[in-house]
Amino acid sequence: MPISPEEASEALDQVADAQARSRTLYGYWRGAPHLILWGILWMTGFGLADVFPAHVTVIWSIVTPIGIAIGIGIDRGRDREKRSRDWRYAIIALAFATFFFATFSILRPHSIDQTSAFICLVVSLIYVLMGLWFGFRYIIGGMLIAALTLAGFFLLHNHFSLWMASVGGSALLLTGFWLRKP
Amino acid sequence: MSQLNEIIHQPVRLKIMATLRAMPKGAQIEFIRLNSIIGTTEGNLGAHIITLENRGYLTVKKDFFGKRPRTRISLTHAGRRAFEAHVAYLRDVIDGGPPQSSPGGVR
Repeated sequence: MPISPEEASEALDQVADAQARSRTLYGYWRGAPHLILWGILWMTGFGLADVFPAHVTVIWSIVTPIGIAIGIGIDRGRDREKRSRDWRYAIIALAFATFFFATFSILRPHSIDQTSAFICLVVSLIYVLMGLWFGFRYIIGGMLIAALTLAGFFLLHNHFSLWMASVGGSALLLTGFWLRKP
Repeated sequence: MSQLNEIIHQPVRLKIMATLRAMPKGAQIEFIRLNSIIGTTEGNLGAHIITLENRGYLTVKKDFFGKRPRTRISLTHAGRRAFEAHVAYLRDVIDGGPPQSSPGGVR
């Protein structure tokens, strides 16, 4: 049974709508567990940094690799047939480590809070940029984390780590749960 | 020459195929998430999935995630090709190409 151009056009519109929705939700679904994971890790890392401020570098040099390893594990669990992407995580981690090392070598921050706030702002920026391709929920999440980071840095000088542990970590967690929703 | 595929052209099945085609090759989607995109009843969606599975366009995997039963659906290579051929046919129709009859339009 042949169909008319109008019917064909209507069908293609349905295809375009379904594909746009599918791509967005797939992007959210992929990102959600990582935001939840890093929400928990921010709570842990910043929480420990608040209690042991002299050991911040040690704390994050333990927490960060744990986060990367769990992140790889999450994606491995989802794509059991596709393990060839693992090397990308290593490259991304190496690229960020190099970027932050180079940046701090040039800018030479005066306090650990400056270092932490800068890293959080870069993370926020990444989420905002991701949102341009993968959906506005990433943009909202990124902007929220940036706003909370700036608020904590400028308004709560002595309790920045505690603020980031509780409010920043919670913001990541909530954004992650929001991404899980269809 | 692309042809009308009546199996895929049914609106719910067209949405299912479009949704799966938009995902990376080999990616799977859980039944619940697929249902939230398609927006129909579980029974209706399940029936259309069976139709597409019987035609070889989809694979359906059932397992347990923890204690929770989980159904995951993915597009087969044949499904991907059939969907692309159907979309090409729709574009041909819009561009004024000669409409074709269904290839054994079995429902």
